[in-house]
Amino acid sequence: MVAPQVKGLNCPNCGAAIQLRSGELAQTVACSSCAAVLDAKDPNLRVLQQFQGKVRTKPLIPLGTRGKLKGEPYEVIGFQRRKIRVDDVDYFWSEYLLWNPYKGFRYLTEYDGHWNDIVVTKRVPEVKGGKQPTIVYLGETFKHFQTATAETTFVLGEFPWEVRLGDTAVTRDFVSPPHVLSEETTDHETTWSLGTYVSPQYVWEAFQLPDKPPAPRGVYANQPDPSAGSAGELGRLFLIFAALVIALLVVRQITARRDMVFRQQYVVSSRNADSTAFVTPIFTLAGRTSNVRLTIDTNLSNNWAYFNLALINEQTGTAYDFGREVSYYYGSDSDGSWTEGSTVDRSTIPSVPSGRYYLRVQPELGTDNPTPLVFGLLVQRDVPSVAFFGAVLALLAIPPILALFRHGAFEQMRWRESDYAPSSDDE
Amino acid sequence: MMQRHLAYVVFACLLIATLGFAEWRGWSFSRPTEVKNVPRSVRDNPGSYRPAYLYHGSGRYLRGK
Repeated sequence: MVAPQVKGLNCPNCGAAIQLRSGELAQTVACSSCAAVLDAKDPNLRVLQQFQGKVRTKPLIPLGTRGKLKGEPYEVIGFQRRKIRVDDVDYFWSEYLLWNPYKGFRYLTEYDGHWNDIVVTKRVPEVKGGKQPTIVYLGETFKHFQTATAETTFVLGEFPWEVRLGDTAVTRDFVSPPHVLSEETTDHETTWSLGTYVSPQYVWEAFQLPDKPPAPRGVYANQPDPSAGSAGELGRLFLIFAALVIALLVVRQITARRDMVFRQQYVVSSRNADSTAFVTPIFTLAGRTSNVRLTIDTNLSNNWAYFNLALINEQTGTAYDFGREVSYYYGSDSDGSWTEGSTVDRSTIPSVPSGRYYLRVQPELGTDNPTPLVFGLLVQRDVPSVAFFGAVLALLAIPPILALFRHGAFEQMRWRESDYAPSSDDE
Repeated sequence: MMQRHLAYVVFACLLIATLGFAEWRGWSFSRPTEVKNVPRSVRDNPGSYRPAYLYHGSGRYLRGK
């Protein structure tokens, strides 16, 4: 770094040494010892303002620290503490004035561990009105975030303007993460600056500061969402995988054998369940281990039936026991006609090895209708199931949905601190 | 994009592979009670067989609207 020309003086208030690094550009300088504000244009450094406050703030980056920002060397020459008051609560932040004799001034701001690298804009942005004003600046759309009155509460070092404790300016912030456009209006002038959110580690490395930077708290106005874009990307990946699942479903529907291995009709008129049990003829389930679909098609009419069922392997003696309830009711009332249940029931027995099987059936007939029960049994081998495909699609959708919620929660935290917080609408 | 979401890609691939295997083997969400060594006499006397699943009562359906 080129060594800046430093002018050495003494504070007329406390006698402490004062260095002017920005030379002729310095308008005011605040003594780093007694915090008195002095006139840098006066050869004797006339005292403009005594520091009356009780709380003195120690800058996180000491005055005179040199570092590199965007590849250019800068030196910290000024520090001010400012505040805004919202709903009777004071919010303080720090501003560091950086100086490079060839590049000019730039600023670093810090609030609750969040840092911004700020430069004054060359163009005046044009604000478009509306419920929430916006600015299109360098092709980027900024949304109004907050308007407040900022007050200077503490200063150290030198400044290229006449700074005083208690100075106020109306600030308007417009955000487009990671950028923020800020307007500051005083009685004399309006300035615009463009800030870029930077990590605390970036600042610490730039100025070779010791220890660790304070951890950021909460979400800052122009803090970029680290998961931004994740929801969209996961959504696109979901669509790819969903297409794959649907393609698999189509292939399965086409290639499933659906072998009809048994079909028979039966009639039951007895209401005594103990006397209705019977077994079907033996049928063969061929091929690889696969599922078996049993369809019970009945003539039920305002009645119910319960089927105790067992698919039994005639060779090994292994049985698959299950029960199925079938009911079908219909009628009409003041709301019109209605139906409930179905005359047909389908059930699937999973992973049945090949072999010779028969069904043991014990129907139990309801007493709501005296009509004999006529029912057909249809046994099919290797029938596709849509349920698994639906379950897989639902599971695949979970990560993109969670990412969407996470992004929404981040944005909600950001805007909670703005003039557009949800609670502000009611006020 | 795949690199950034490798965990999701792996999760999705495993899920789809499991789906394919499940369909191939004929898995189902429900599973009947499996009973071993059912006597051959069931074919001659079907009424003597007692189902292994927990079913009590008539199975009466509570009908109507």
